[in-house]
Amino acid sequence: MNKAAFYDLDGTLLSCNLVTMHAYYARNDRSPLKSIYQFSKVLVSVPLLFGLDLYSRSLFNVFSFRAYRGMHRDRLIGLADDLFEVTLKPSIFPQAQALIETTKELGYRNVLVTGTLDFHIRPIALHFGIDEVICNRLEFRKHVATGRVLPPLLAENEKARSIREYAVQENIDLAQSCAFSDSTSDVPMLSVVGQPVATNPSRRLRRVALQKGWPILELRESVSKFPPFLRPAKVL
Amino acid sequence: MKARSSWRWNAVRGDYESGDPPPLRGTGEIAAIEAFSNRTILLLGCSGFVGKVFLAMVLDRFPELKHLVVQVRRKKTLSGEQRFYSEVLKAPPLRQIVDRIGGEQLVRAKVQVVEGDLDQPLCGIPVDQIDQLKVDIVVNIAGVVDFDPPVNESVEPNVYGTQHLIELVQLLNARLVHVSTAYVAGKKNGHISEDTAIEGYFPLRGEPGEVRRFSVSEELSWYTQFVKETRESRDSNPRPVRERLREGGMNRAESWGWTNTYTYTKSMGEQLIASTAGLTYAIVRPAIVESSMRFPFPGWNEGFTTSAPLVLMGGEGVKNWPVRKDGPLEIIPVDLVAEGILIVTAAVLCGKHKRVYHLASADENPIMLPRLVAFLGMNSRYKHKHKKSGSKLANVWKAYVETQVITVETLQARRTRLRRGLDVIHAALTLGKTLLGAQRVSPYLKSLRDTRRQIRQQEITLDKFLPFMFHNSFIFETRNIREAVTKLANDDLTRLKWDPETIDWADYWVNIHTKGIEKWIRPVFVSQRKTGS
Repeated sequence: MNKAAFYDLDGTLLSCNLVTMHAYYARNDRSPLKSIYQFSKVLVSVPLLFGLDLYSRSLFNVFSFRAYRGMHRDRLIGLADDLFEVTLKPSIFPQAQALIETTKELGYRNVLVTGTLDFHIRPIALHFGIDEVICNRLEFRKHVATGRVLPPLLAENEKARSIREYAVQENIDLAQSCAFSDSTSDVPMLSVVGQPVATNPSRRLRRVALQKGWPILELRESVSKFPPFLRPAKVL
Repeated sequence: MKARSSWRWNAVRGDYESGDPPPLRGTGEIAAIEAFSNRTILLLGCSGFVGKVFLAMVLDRFPELKHLVVQVRRKKTLSGEQRFYSEVLKAPPLRQIVDRIGGEQLVRAKVQVVEGDLDQPLCGIPVDQIDQLKVDIVVNIAGVVDFDPPVNESVEPNVYGTQHLIELVQLLNARLVHVSTAYVAGKKNGHISEDTAIEGYFPLRGEPGEVRRFSVSEELSWYTQFVKETRESRDSNPRPVRERLREGGMNRAESWGWTNTYTYTKSMGEQLIASTAGLTYAIVRPAIVESSMRFPFPGWNEGFTTSAPLVLMGGEGVKNWPVRKDGPLEIIPVDLVAEGILIVTAAVLCGKHKRVYHLASADENPIMLPRLVAFLGMNSRYKHKHKKSGSKLANVWKAYVETQVITVETLQARRTRLRRGLDVIHAALTLGKTLLGAQRVSPYLKSLRDTRRQIRQQEITLDKFLPFMFHNSFIFETRNIREAVTKLANDDLTRLKWDPETIDWADYWVNIHTKGIEKWIRPVFVSQRKTGS
C-alpha cells in the first residue's frame, strides 16, 4: 500500500490567506478607478472576515468567496501567475520546501488539501513540485463567477472525508500517512492519518496537539526540527 | 499538476458540470487500427511543425503499422537519412517518444528514409526506388507556409510541388491525404462549408459583377511570364527583384480575393489534385495551427506563422489591438491536427472518406478575439511587473495599462499621430545635435531609430494578421471530421480523439500556449533579431 502526506496550505506552508488574494485582484483591476473601488470594498470587509474566521472557517470561506462574484474566469486564470509572484511566493515559510522534499524522499505522495481555489493552487503546486491537489472550485455561469463555491465546500470535516475517499481510490494506507496543518478547523483532517503534525499551530491547535500527543513543527523558522518519523534512518 | 474533482469544465457553456462524460462509441465503419495494420504510409514533410507531431503520434499510437517511409530533403552536406536521425528524431517532440517506444533501433526497423525534394519531378525520388516502394497511402504535410514570400518561392513548392506529388502518387498507385489550409477560402465571412467545389474556385466567385473564371493553367502562364519579365527588367528597374516578386504575388492573390500568396498557391495545389481523374484523395484543411494541448507534451510549438508573433508582441507590451469584437480566432492545437490527419488517413484507407476536412475549433467552441486581447494584456502585466531591465516608466506603463480592442481606423489614426510625434522628437534631437554637439545627442538619435524600426516591424506583423482578425471573420465547418469520428471503431477511440469542444481556452492560452511560445519560440525569435535575419 502507498502512503501520502496531506498538506493544508494557508498558514501551514505559507502565510497568505484569502483576504490578501482578494486585495491583489482589487489592486489589479482593469482600470485604476475600478481598482480603488474594489480595494476599498476589501478593506471594509476585513474586520468582518476576521471575526468570522475565529467563529467558523467554513462560514469564513463562504463569505470570502463572495468577493469573486462578477469576475471573469479568464482574469482569474490570467492573473494567477502574477498573484503567485506578488502575494504568495514571498510568504512561503523558510522550511516549507524542505519539508515537502523530505516527505517525497521518504516515499510519501504529496497531496495538497486546501480550501484555496484551483487557479490559485496551480503555480503553488508547480513551485513546490506537488502533483496532486484537492481544492475548492468556484461556480461559474457563462465564464463569470457567481460568488459561490461548488459543493462540497472543502473545509473542516469535508477535508477529512475527501482524504478518506482519496485513500480508497489510490490505495493509500492512512495509518502510515501524515498530515500537516496549522489550524483547529483542520483537527478532523489531522485525526484521519496515523502521523498528524501540528504545523505552525495556532494557540488552540497547540493545546489540542499537546493533549493528543501530536508532534509540533515550526516551518516559519529558518531551522526547524522535523518530527522523528520524518528523519531518515541513519546508515550505521 | 492534477486537481482531483468530480467537476468538469464545460468550455462551450462556461460552467462546471458533474459526472463522467458519456463513453465514446463508434460504428466501426472506419477501423483505424485495422487499416494501419500491415500497411505502408509514405510521409512527406516530416521535418515541419505538424509533420514531427504526426510522425511522433503514428510511431507512438500505432505500433501495428507495418512500414513507414519518410521523405526528407537533403540539406547542404547532410543527406536525407542523416538529417532524419540527427535532426528530426532528436527534436523535442520526438526524442521522448522514440525512447518510449524502444529507441532508435525500433525506428530503424520500421522506418525507411528516402531522400527527395518536392521541387523535383516525382518529388525527387528515383524511379527505380519508387518501383520498390509498396506504398498504400501518401500523406503530404510538406509546403511553404510563409504568407508573402517572393511568388516563385510559394508557387514552386505549393503548386509545382503538388503536381510532382500527384505524379508520384499515380506511379505508386497509392491514395493521397494532402494537407492544405482552411484559409484557401480567402476573404470570406461567416460559415465556410467543406462542400464548396474545389476546381475553379476563387474567393470572389459568385460576387455581384464578378464574371471571371479561374484556371490554374492560366495562372501558371501568368506566373511564368511575370517572373521572366521581372527578372529581365533587373537592369531597367532599380527596385530589388525579390521585393517585386513578393508584391506581384500578393497583388495577384488579392485580385482573386485571397488573403495572401500562401493561400492563393495552396488553393491552386488543391485544384490540381481535384482535377486529376482517378485519384483517390482527401484534403485536410487545418485552421491556424497552435501549440500542442496534450501530445507529445503540453505547449510544444515551433510555428512562426501561427499566432506566435502576436503573442510575442503582446508580451512586449503592445496595447492596441485591431480585432473584431464578435469574431473568433480560428486556432487548433497541433496534436489535434495530427489526430485529425490520422483519422482522415484511416478513412481514406477504409474508403469511407469525404473530399475535404476542415480541422478547426470555432464552429463548436469558439475563442473570441477580445478574450485573446485581454489575455495578451494580462501576460504583459505579468512580464513587465517583474522585468528588471529597461526603462522603469515604460515597464510601469506596460504593466498597469491594459490592452484595448480598437478598429482599423483608430489604429491608422494612432499610427499617424505616433509618427508625427516621433518626427517632432527627431527634429528636436537634430537641432540639439547642432547646438550641443553630436557626442551628447547621438545616443538618443540611435535609440529613436531603434524604436522606429521596432514600431515598423510590429506594424508589418500586425498588418499580416489583419485579414484573420479584423477584415474577415471565419468559422470553418467541421462536420466531416466529426462524422468520421463517429464511424471509428471503439478501440480506435482509445487512441484517437477529436475533441476541440473540450478545450478550456483560458487554461490553454495562459498556461499552455503562451508558456510554450515563451519557452520554444522566443529564444529563436530573439536570436534571429540579433542576427538580423
